[in-house]
Amino acid sequence: MHFLEGIIIALRSLVANKLRSVLTLVGVIIGVMTVIAVVSIISGMNRYVEAEISSLGSTTFLIRKFGLITSDEQWHEQVKRKNFTLDDMQAVEENCPDCWKVGAEAFAWRKVKYKNKHLSRMTIIGATANITEIANHEVYEGRTFSDFEVEHNRRVCFVGWDIKENLFADEDPMGKDIKIGNHHFRIIGVAAKKGAFLGDNQDDFVLVPITTYEKLFSRHFFLMIFVKAKDFMSMQDAMDQCRVILRARRGVDYNKPDDFAILTSESVMDFFRQFTQLALLVMGGIASISLVVGGIVIMNIMLVSVTERTREIGIRKALGARKRNILWQFLVESVTLALVGGMAGIIAGALIAKLISVASPLPASVELWSVIVALLVSSSVGIFFGIFPAMKAARLNPIEALRYE
Amino acid sequence: MLIRTQDLWKIYEMGREKVNALREVSLEIEKGEYAAIMGPSGSGKSTLMNLIGCLDTPTKGDYYLNDKLVSQMNDDELARIRNKEIGFVFQTFNLLARATAAHNVELPLVYNGTESEVRKRKAREALKMVDLEDRATHKPNELSGGERQRVALARALVNNPALILADEPTGNLDTKTGHEIMNIFKKLHRQGNTLIIVTHEHDIATYADRIIYIRDGAIEKEERKKN
Repeated sequence: MHFLEGIIIALRSLVANKLRSVLTLVGVIIGVMTVIAVVSIISGMNRYVEAEISSLGSTTFLIRKFGLITSDEQWHEQVKRKNFTLDDMQAVEENCPDCWKVGAEAFAWRKVKYKNKHLSRMTIIGATANITEIANHEVYEGRTFSDFEVEHNRRVCFVGWDIKENLFADEDPMGKDIKIGNHHFRIIGVAAKKGAFLGDNQDDFVLVPITTYEKLFSRHFFLMIFVKAKDFMSMQDAMDQCRVILRARRGVDYNKPDDFAILTSESVMDFFRQFTQLALLVMGGIASISLVVGGIVIMNIMLVSVTERTREIGIRKALGARKRNILWQFLVESVTLALVGGMAGIIAGALIAKLISVASPLPASVELWSVIVALLVSSSVGIFFGIFPAMKAARLNPIEALRYE
Repeated sequence: MLIRTQDLWKIYEMGREKVNALREVSLEIEKGEYAAIMGPSGSGKSTLMNLIGCLDTPTKGDYYLNDKLVSQMNDDELARIRNKEIGFVFQTFNLLARATAAHNVELPLVYNGTESEVRKRKAREALKMVDLEDRATHKPNELSGGERQRVALARALVNNPALILADEPTGNLDTKTGHEIMNIFKKLHRQGNTLIIVTHEHDIATYADRIIYIRDGAIEKEERKKN
């Protein structure tokens, strides 16, 4: 019998038992939906984070006292480490031949006031002038501060969009003085609007020269040193040189591990991927449970279908259907069932992903590979759980099947 | 010779007991014959019909259909023989409830790989032979009993089989309709088809040219119509 004929016969009987077909598919739909929705969200997030992190560039690394912390113990151990200072940065700049650019950044939270308006808990970032080559600060108007201003502890600042929007509703912020904590700063530039990432507002910052920052807000001076290597090839050398310089300055014994961390965009991305892989694993567990349940339901309904249609099988066999014709018919039917469920699941999953990306800050994008995997998995479920009922049907004795009431 | 059976035995094992459903049945039926197999229920006539129809294989003995030894064939070979050589008509019609009359008639052609276009044409022709072309798109539950049996007849004819085998074809029909169906059989016989009808009703059996009486699993006697 032709391939198409089998599918048509199967689809006909699926359409004839509409309600039953739908009920049967719930398990497969939920399984596939989970896969599609979770994969979409995770890969959407991965892409976004990757784009964010890779804006750091593949030749840039970051040195700070905290590593990527995953436990309380790590935090308690690392919080005791010595803070980096501007002198450390200076030492790196002077002694690391493969470091092309060296900068630093530190931050704290303060209230920002202008006239009678204020914003509490704004992120005050102290930075070197070359920070703009590392972090993405698009200029909306004005400029960022210069090396000269950093060297001379100038009280100038480059503000995020929130400051302009909330404190300068109908005024030009350029050249105005704002109060950060108890200190006055002059606005020399405004950053373009960045929006939020994973629910985190990125426009609530004030960028000030790091020297000024150290003097005024340095109670917990948590300094991060940025290094840009000359090129990708010299990245490892630059990191090694920094390690030697800093270990010496911090007096770390030769047999002790570093008491600071060097992070690259790659290592940050790896860290992030660990989380998403865990999420994928959990999702895989949920999905496979519902797919197995869905498969058992399909097997059950196919067994019912075989029993119900015993007589039909008898008729078909009497008219010349061979074992494999009957096997094929029921197998195509169970695979078609599972595939229809899979497709419904893909649509439902994509809708959920879309809904989440619209209603929450989480980005989502439906991945082609997850759609292909979903279709493969659901047809395998159809084959695996359909083979037993189909074999049962194929083995029926035509005489007994014809006599079946 | 279309059908030749030699000492056919069919023995069923019911627990420890052995039941001889057929004992040493030797039978010959020629091409173009119209034969009836008669007997009370439990006589073994259904068992004989199943063997002749290649739905089952004998415990002992040989069965040649069209000079082919079918008693030794496996399930798939038997399926092929049923498809090619035999057209069945059953007491309960045995049509697929969800399929139209035309699709029911097409079914044997589906299983020998006939192309869709040819199937449709042949099904139309077969329905025409039983005067049902105008009912082609109806489903079985929209047809009367007599019409259903005519669809079944068309299905039996569609593949142009060597033998049409009818098992109590009038059993579920009223007398008048039953005789209408028997008249169609008569017409088919005149056109050269070989017919075997299994029945327990004497006045149905008398339509045939030859009546084979079965009792207790063996041929009791035979009658031939004199022309």
